[in-house]
Amino acid sequence: MTEFPFESEERRALRSAVAALGKRYGSAYMQGKGRAGEDSNELWLEAGKLGYLGVSLPEQYGGGGGGIADLVIVQEELGAAGCPLLLLVVTPAICGSIIARFGTQAQKQRFLPGFADGTERMAFGITEPDAGSNSHAITTTARRDGADWILKGRKVFISGVDNCATTMIVSRTEDARTGKLKPALFIVPREAPGFEYRAIPMELISPDRQFELYLDDVRLPADALVGDEDAGIAQVFAGLNPERIMVAALANGIARHALDKAVAYARERTVFRGPIGSHQGIAHPLAQAKIEVELARLMTQKAALLNDAGDDLGAGEAANMAKYAAAEAVTHAVDQAVQTLGGNGLTQEYGLAALINFARVTRVAPVSREMILNFVAQHTLGLPKSY
Amino acid sequence: MKIVVLVKQVPDTAADKRLDPDTLAVDRGAVDGLINEMDEFAVEEALQLVEKHGGEVTVVSMGPDDATDAYKKALQMGADKAVFLSDPALAGSDALATSEALAKVLGTLEYDLVILGSEASDARTSLVPALLAERLGLPQLTFASKVEVDGSAIRVNRLTDYGHDVVEAALPAVVSVVEKINEPRYPSFKGIMAAKKKPVEALDLAGLGLDAGSVGWAGSRSKVLDATVAPPRAKGTIVTDEGNGGSELVGFLASKKFV
Ligand SMILES: Cc1cc2nc3c(=O)[nH]c(=O)nc-3n(C[C@@H](O)[C@H](O)[C@H](O)COP(=O)(O)OP(=O)(O)OC[C@H]3O[C@@H](n4cnc5c(N)ncnc54)[C@H](O)[C@@H]3O)c2cc1C
Ligand SMILES: Cc1cc2nc3c(=O)[nH]c(=O)nc-3n(C[C@H](O)[C@H](O)[C@H](O)COP(=O)(O)OP(=O)(O)OC[C@H]3O[C@@H](n4cnc5c(N)ncnc54)[C@H](O)[C@@H]3O)c2cc1C
Repeated sequence: MTEFPFESEERRALRSAVAALGKRYGSAYMQGKGRAGEDSNELWLEAGKLGYLGVSLPEQYGGGGGGIADLVIVQEELGAAGCPLLLLVVTPAICGSIIARFGTQAQKQRFLPGFADGTERMAFGITEPDAGSNSHAITTTARRDGADWILKGRKVFISGVDNCATTMIVSRTEDARTGKLKPALFIVPREAPGFEYRAIPMELISPDRQFELYLDDVRLPADALVGDEDAGIAQVFAGLNPERIMVAALANGIARHALDKAVAYARERTVFRGPIGSHQGIAHPLAQAKIEVELARLMTQKAALLNDAGDDLGAGEAANMAKYAAAEAVTHAVDQAVQTLGGNGLTQEYGLAALINFARVTRVAPVSREMILNFVAQHTLGLPKSY
Repeated sequence: MKIVVLVKQVPDTAADKRLDPDTLAVDRGAVDGLINEMDEFAVEEALQLVEKHGGEVTVVSMGPDDATDAYKKALQMGADKAVFLSDPALAGSDALATSEALAKVLGTLEYDLVILGSEASDARTSLVPALLAERLGLPQLTFASKVEVDGSAIRVNRLTDYGHDVVEAALPAVVSVVEKINEPRYPSFKGIMAAKKKPVEALDLAGLGLDAGSVGWAGSRSKVLDATVAPPRAKGTIVTDEGNGGSELVGFLASKKFV
């Protein structure tokens, strides 16, 4: 059988190695931890030790020297095993990509080796109560005080803050020349005075929780600023493509997981004559879901390859399309999987009902499906902007 | 110390296996091949011994020319190099012929210890370790659930029905391991990336100096005459407890001569 070019021999080996690790943990582990309000650090640390978390980070800083394409494989296979790691999207993909490209030498040395081996985690906060889809509206600001920075503002829905020693906060500073506000990124320690975080009760069964952050005049040293003050906007963009690609990979993994369970069940379960999988009412929607997932995977792989080749613009369009397609595919796949299992689809034992809301998140975050449709309408199709 | 690990590529145990109706051998083209699971334990044990005592691990595999996944997996796990013996004339080799070819390969290598799995999951003869030890004229330690090396001596816990025996031998020796012995590592990303740069020596019969007549269909003394597909498992018996469940269960067990 000829392999699709994305699947190099090394990527296939990575796939099967991560799949084997994921299988040992599985969805019962992940959902059990989520229900108990516990973390999934064991899996995180083991994956880190094996170099799976750091595949995309530079070798020089302890990473694997691969790309987001390799990290996509890690996320997809963990997802397919039922134990995706939400913070893979955040720490190595967003924060890791930004620091590797724009961080100071000292920041790279300080953070990347820990990102790579799993011993250091960083959350990422951009969303605010009045700035979700409209991220231009963020009001968290940083002002200078001598050599220090003073950070003030609020963030919402920030994932994993309790498990991360630091959070990368997107804020705004005043441009010294024009007086206009421009984005600047800061690395804020969880224990910094004035930094408070509160868990938001979410209807999600996941070890990774979301937090509301209050930054009340948090004093930060000069080196908390990521890279150069003038590169803020480029830095944010460097994180966005990996973020979308990794959410797509997470969605694709969960979709595969749900479909695998549904197909196995449809082969065995007999209600009238023959297994229910022989009824087209069950078989066709599963086949449809399979096609959607495969198309989403393909676009995810394209986006990852463009990203790794340094084509940020091309990757941007593909990453948005991949995220959109993957979110739709996983929502349909999980829904159909639940339907296929009948009552069992809604039990804890089969682990599918827990995926309904989780899959649904990918339609909203990190960028909603409507905002992607806006993007494609304007940038790809050249239609006029409505807002 | 220098350790040689023998690894076999087998059809995925999870897949439906078919026999080729002409040769009555497993149709290997029809399913994905991968390393015999027990051989991962052999590789792991070798890696742990070398981590402790220093040295290097060479993997040896014999199989069809596309059966490269098994030794590659061993290299990804951390073995240093591989020898891959492949030749169309090897097809059809029985356990005796397989052991002859593998013994010949070992003759070209330097080693203090040879480690194998106790059984390959496809043919499951469990003969290769013993045949190989005999051909090499080396002591054989089987069913090892623990291995310790001390200078030129080796001591293993040999798993038995009642517990384990402790057996010792002088190196070089041949050891076959059971799954209890360790927990095989997953290949790390670095291991995966490093594997493609590791040396692999490809051998065929001519290169090995082995006569094609002594291996393969021609050289194998055992022949498969007939094969029948196993009948599907019969439906189990469900005992509903209506007060007499206990005695029904015992009756069932007695009818099967379990009690
Ligand atoms: C349908 C069928 C019928 C067969 N009939 C016969 C028969 O009648 N008589 C007969 O003698 N054999 C027969 N064979 C088995 C033969 O072809 C075996 O594959 C071969 O002899 C190896 O034995 P094994 O797989 O049982 O290995 P085992 O002895 O069970 O394997 C033990 C260990 O030996 C090592 N090892 C085994 N093979 C290799 C290899 N190729 N390369 C590297 N290491 C290896 C591994 O470490 C393995 O864990 C048959 C096989 C099939 C599929
Ligand atoms: C589980 C989870 C984890 C998260 N993790 C993080 C994190 O780690 N870090 C972080 O910074 N953020 C995180 N977020 C926040 C997430 O990125 C935002 O929820 C998302 O960007 C949407 O913003 P919003 O919730 O403010 O919705 P809003 O922006 O208020 O949008 C509400 C609805 O209006 C629609 N809408 C808005 N404008 C338009 C328009 N012009 N045309 C059409 N429709 C429009 C949107 O599509 C959406 O359906 C997370 C969210 C969730 C649910």
